Amino acid sequence: MQRVLGNFIHALRQAGIPVSPAETLDAVKTTKLIGLDDKVRLKTALGLTVAKCQEHKLQYELLFDQFFQFATQAVASEKSEVPLDAERGAGSEPTQSLERSLKSSPDLNRQITSLADAVQSPLAQQLMQGDQAAMSIAIAGAGNTVGLNQMQIFTQKPIFTFRMMQQLGMDALNQELRELSQQGNNEALVQLLKTRRKVLREQVQDFVEQQYALFAQAEGQTLRDSNLQSLKFTQVDYQHIDQMTRLVRKAAKQLASLHSRRRKTTRRGFLDARKTITTNAAYGGILFNTRWRARRIERPKVMVICDVSGSVSRVARFLLLFLYSLQDVLPRVRSFVFSGELGEVTDYFDAEDLETAMAKVMNHWANRSTDYGRALTDFETLALGDIDNKTTVIMLGDARNNNGDGNAKVWKQVYQRSRRVLWLNPERSSLWNTGDSIMADFTPYCSQAESCNSLRDLTRILGKLLKYS
Amino acid sequence: MIIRHKDRIASPEIVKSGFDDLGYICSEAIATAVYLACQLQKPILVEGPPGVGKTELAKKTAEYLSAPLIRMQCYEGLDESKALYEWKYGKQLLYTQVLKDQLGSVMQGASGLDESVERLHQFGDIFYSEQFLETRPLLQALREDEGAILLIDEIDKSDQEFEAFLLELLSDYQVSIPEIGTVEAKSKPIVFLTSNNTRELGDALKRRCLHLYIPFPDTQLENRIIASQVPQIAEELRRQLVDFVAALRDMALKKEPAVSESIDWARALLLLNVEELEPQWVKNTLNLLLKYQDDIEVVEPEINRLVRALK
Repeated sequence: MQRVLGNFIHALRQAGIPVSPAETLDAVKTTKLIGLDDKVRLKTALGLTVAKCQEHKLQYELLFDQFFQFATQAVASEKSEVPLDAERGAGSEPTQSLERSLKSSPDLNRQITSLADAVQSPLAQQLMQGDQAAMSIAIAGAGNTVGLNQMQIFTQKPIFTFRMMQQLGMDALNQELRELSQQGNNEALVQLLKTRRKVLREQVQDFVEQQYALFAQAEGQTLRDSNLQSLKFTQVDYQHIDQMTRLVRKAAKQLASLHSRRRKTTRRGFLDARKTITTNAAYGGILFNTRWRARRIERPKVMVICDVSGSVSRVARFLLLFLYSLQDVLPRVRSFVFSGELGEVTDYFDAEDLETAMAKVMNHWANRSTDYGRALTDFETLALGDIDNKTTVIMLGDARNNNGDGNAKVWKQVYQRSRRVLWLNPERSSLWNTGDSIMADFTPYCSQAESCNSLRDLTRILGKLLKYS
Repeated sequence: MIIRHKDRIASPEIVKSGFDDLGYICSEAIATAVYLACQLQKPILVEGPPGVGKTELAKKTAEYLSAPLIRMQCYEGLDESKALYEWKYGKQLLYTQVLKDQLGSVMQGASGLDESVERLHQFGDIFYSEQFLETRPLLQALREDEGAILLIDEIDKSDQEFEAFLLELLSDYQVSIPEIGTVEAKSKPIVFLTSNNTRELGDALKRRCLHLYIPFPDTQLENRIIASQVPQIAEELRRQLVDFVAALRDMALKKEPAVSESIDWARALLLLNVEELEPQWVKNTLNLLLKYQDDIEVVEPEINRLVRALK
């Protein structure tokens, strides 16, 4: 019983539901209290203890159904209780195909009883009895013995299938089949055993497949995710954009929850009269210790300027996505995009959801030839006046200006007025200032210029921004 | 907590039917959660949209188990001096005054500083003692002899610091008061925490609780809820009303009408002697269901269609 529950929790963790050991203990207690008889109630009760948000609850419900289809048999096998209605556990396809094969050969069916005594190996006997429930229990048992829940990648499926067949006693069966066919007088029996062996193999394969879906699929996903994190944005395929978007949101959420705590400074500011009086009551009201009002650290005001031309546009997409997923901790983001001319797009993101807003912005502004000079002049008229000493300005661009003038004096003003200027360049720093890149014009007026081309970079840089502001 | 009516929490069915009798029609999940909370002595974190009866659940549980309900409303800036305890400063000040007057007689005959200090130490120090402790809801819940139902309402409104402060209470049913030491619960209270999800709660808090999500009820359940809350309403009207509200919940609204709103609406329709849902009545009473002008503007042109669909 505990083992089955342990396996189930393992499956939940694989699927990304964080179940702590303490919660596992709760789950065990709950199961003891509720009992195993009422499956629906058990599902509700376990859901209360292990899945702690809406999203996890949905996932949990799916997994519960998937898992306990087979696990009910495993519980029964551990208790070595044979009676188990076949519909509950083994109502899957293999049963039906076996029944079909039996129905299609009614004459064989009659002979079975007479032939059943003729076989010796345990598996053969089991096959001849044709007891589906017992067979499923044996399969689940074999699965436990060979450690099916340790499976990690899909190429392991055949080997696990093979091991399970071995565990079930395949060798003895094959041996006996060879002997029987050598004797030559048991053609019908050999044929029947072969059919049933085939059905059994299908059943085992299905079982392995299902267990793979439970335990291993998520593992592969994690592997892919960690690869995508360090992949360059500019190399993300179109088919992976959705996945990447999901990852960006996830990373943003992590960062947000890390920094959602509002930190306080205890720097002296105003006297907290109430606290001072109460702490000094002990000294007869003489004010020994003074207490000061803590001051909350202000969230950074962020202005982000994105180059959305050509190769940079994809990075811009993810940067904007990241920033707007950080709404909880960065409520005041103003965003500007440019390729030729520059425009403010904050309203797009306020009015619509991220995806649509992003698509509109890209349609409207992207794919013109880059002109930093023009863009910065526009920025000067649009927003320079709003920059104060609490503002962080983030520029994302490769500083490739098609040999035009970069208008760096505007950037100098931005640097002087703002609290901090970050320049994120999707190119490696060794490529800066080569060709038509005019990065050198701007770097003197940046608090920090970094190369940023993967989710990992983005998380690191924005994490720092949130931490030290 | 000491539950005087053990039989009342013998199984989820009994809890459910008991709540039914009190007029709180609940789903299987809710009954199971209450059952588990009583049996395992664990707090329940109740989440769900506003108006589905999260607070009501705690109240009804208190009524059902005939235990006192201690309620603490959370808000930003709530700290332990408002939630747990506070010293009675005025009385403490008076105490020091009295002490000063008495000091002379206590010290009489003492020679030298050392002896005086010794005498002072022999003198019982009650400055920080339970006599001067003003209890607040959390401490009060721990001090109830027979346990209590503690409702910590809208925990998501409180600060992160306060959430962390609650952890000790929730897992060990004890709190630390620096001047006195650890105060343990005389009898473990049953704790309900409610949250509207305005911010994500910490994992540490979630881990210590059972997590119950109360969604909007399905039409069948809502029918029963309204029948129990507004028994005088005609069956046909009730059905129409519930279907109408369900249709509203499918629309893209800022705030969907919750159960409490449908109950209010049912009461209003009863008061107005409405026999059948008609567009005119719906239009006039729509502000009971929808709390935003934007939402009302979205729904108003659709009323005719929605009402026709009910018949």
